[in-house]
Amino acid sequence: MREHIKGAVQEIANNRLKFDRPEQPQVVYPTPADQFGHVHKSQPQPSREEVFAKMDTPETKARVADLLSRYPVAQGALLEVLWLVQGMFGWVPTEGIRWAANVCSCAPAHALGVATFYTMYNHAPKGKFMLQFCRNISCAIKGAQPLIKYVENKLGIKSGETTPDGMFTILQVECLGSCGNGPMMLVNDDFATDVVNGELKMKRGTTLTEASIDRIIDWCKAHANNVPKHDVLGGTVKGHSGHPGAPGAIAKPQVPDYAPPSPVLNVKAEADEAGATLTWKGAPEFTKLVVEKKDGANWVAVGEPGVKDKAFVDAAGKVGDEYRMIATSGERVAKPSNVAVTTQKPAPVEEKVG
Amino acid sequence: MAECVKVCTENFGKGAQDIEVYKKLGGYENISERLFNMSQFELIDYVQRSNLRGRGGAGFPTGMKWSFVPRGTGKPVYIVVNADEGEGGTFKDHFLMLEDPHRLIEGLIIAAWALGSRAAYIYCRGEFLPCIESLNKALNQAYAAGYLGENIMGTKFCFDIFVHRGAGAYICGEETALINSLEGQKGQPRLKPPFPAVSGAWKSPTCVNNVETIMALPWILKHDPSEYAKMGTPRAGGTKVFCISGDVKNPGVYEAPLGTPMMTMINDYAGGVVGGKLKAVLPGGSSCAPLTAEEAAVATMDYECLASMKTMFGSGAMIVINDTHNMVDLLNVLGNFYSHESCGQCTPCREGTGLLHRILNQIVAGNGHDGDVEFMQSLCGGFGGVTICPLSISLGGPVSSYSAKFRADFDEYIARNPDHAKPRVQENYRPGIFW
Repeated sequence: MREHIKGAVQEIANNRLKFDRPEQPQVVYPTPADQFGHVHKSQPQPSREEVFAKMDTPETKARVADLLSRYPVAQGALLEVLWLVQGMFGWVPTEGIRWAANVCSCAPAHALGVATFYTMYNHAPKGKFMLQFCRNISCAIKGAQPLIKYVENKLGIKSGETTPDGMFTILQVECLGSCGNGPMMLVNDDFATDVVNGELKMKRGTTLTEASIDRIIDWCKAHANNVPKHDVLGGTVKGHSGHPGAPGAIAKPQVPDYAPPSPVLNVKAEADEAGATLTWKGAPEFTKLVVEKKDGANWVAVGEPGVKDKAFVDAAGKVGDEYRMIATSGERVAKPSNVAVTTQKPAPVEEKVG
Repeated sequence: MAECVKVCTENFGKGAQDIEVYKKLGGYENISERLFNMSQFELIDYVQRSNLRGRGGAGFPTGMKWSFVPRGTGKPVYIVVNADEGEGGTFKDHFLMLEDPHRLIEGLIIAAWALGSRAAYIYCRGEFLPCIESLNKALNQAYAAGYLGENIMGTKFCFDIFVHRGAGAYICGEETALINSLEGQKGQPRLKPPFPAVSGAWKSPTCVNNVETIMALPWILKHDPSEYAKMGTPRAGGTKVFCISGDVKNPGVYEAPLGTPMMTMINDYAGGVVGGKLKAVLPGGSSCAPLTAEEAAVATMDYECLASMKTMFGSGAMIVINDTHNMVDLLNVLGNFYSHESCGQCTPCREGTGLLHRILNQIVAGNGHDGDVEFMQSLCGGFGGVTICPLSISLGGPVSSYSAKFRADFDEYIARNPDHAKPRVQENYRPGIFW
């Protein structure tokens, strides 16, 4: 071990093992959750009874049944069920995670791991309007940071904090997928660069400016009592028949018998002294292949190459003969392949010695 | 600027979100005898002949990917659409789904026919709620019109599409992480092999395709594959939706044939560089190596040319940077991004991206030291091939290439520290109170 590393390890070990460690300074967070949504012990949580009673509505039950029918394993719906919890509370309480785990029949610890992995689940209440600013490269080029500073000064809070009246939360997030309009912001779930006719809009060719942010904040203040709400999953889809292997449904094997059987493709024929050589493109499902040759007006079978074969030689073939192939997959006979007219095989290029 | 055929952005601004309008514009014409008379093998061959390559970033030939999916295993085949678009500078899928959701549905029906699939998932990132609403509305209309569900158009073909809302993780754009997220797990990439085409979602064959790839299919089936192949370069056919952002006059989404010169894209389509002279272009999103102004003048936007210039085509997201910016500032933004988005599975990535970010932060804060750049470069040299997914290389690549091509910017920042000649104290690298 190198000396300086040894020293560092020793130092860490000493610090860890020291029983008379000085008391760690207590970290005081200005708001219950930090910028990354990490939950702290100070966040008061609703009780399990409260959460389970609130989630026990007919709409939620129908919603959950619909979600579970989409996935072969109930755990697949976990992200969507957590979204439902967030839609109900505005954030994901710990007992809400337990409820989601119950619904998706997975371990609560697994659900907690999932809920803390993804950044869009809030682990503490947020303001009525979450102003999420993109800080990624395209927006940074167009001056996102000065704008964020401007909003922070205007609202008197830092990124990750909520105003004391519970109206606004400022967040810095990663790329919002609207770099052409950068700098970009999300107001709750709406992309916004300006207010047009009393609505938040992302107009092509416009970007956020200090003036448009002022207008957006004024718009938010005017809508404090009727915050426009979106469905967390963007609405429901009617008419789907669910996943074929969903719990309670019968798994149907995916046999593509509705499609026509596959024909042989790309048949080519070339003749030399040994006869005509046929090449083709075969599919793995073929069980039988027949080569046919045109004889006057009729097609006559001349051979049956193996399904794994790459080529077939008809010794009697010569330039100008017409061939086609017919494939069988199981019990189904496919339509004939293209008709290949035999051409002269190009002479092999002689290698020059020396 | 020559007018080119529009494949994916054909219906932009025409109100194609409504199924009636979309049908009037020629939509859903493929969902007829034209598709139902085709065998799967023929359809895959059709896509192979069109030279369509995946539009998500890796550029893998789509027809070849489909041909890897095993058939007749008794397991369902899933199609998963990767709409988790989170790379800095990429925003095409956002507008494609917002403007033309029915084209995605039509493309998915074609893909389902080719693969014998019964269910498809559109994994849309959580921030794109307007897109999810647009897609769900379109899905409702398509179910009502009989294009989806049981016995589509009177055949025995059954197909369902579900939209899955993600919850904010850049790494879920990697296909195996996306599958994990779809299964309700943390979005951490899986070790390959087995590849998703053999064993993906719920251990079944799964085909993960980008939104734009799927949306090119209706056009290819309606016209001829050779016509599509003709539009691009010999090894990659068709048009590409480019997203141009940064210091240009008209940033936005533009469709152009593959192989268009880079300066044509910047000057003719996007209206030229504003705010200064051209300094650098990131041709394929935030994780690729930048091209200097001289290199950009000769580059063409296609897979081969950019690969030969040691950068990558990626998702066709061009970020234009003018000479008022210091590249270290931008690299610091990337360092913040990638260290934040590392899933934490592999140690080189988890620790390495954080360490790079802390050093970059120190340099930007005026605490840079001589030898920092060399240290970062040596660190990036250890990223290749030791992690499950390429996220660490997505930061390591830019760090090495920015520092190689724009060394003056780094030196300028480091010179701001009066003590820059002294060796760095190791304490400064440490992340904080946990150490």
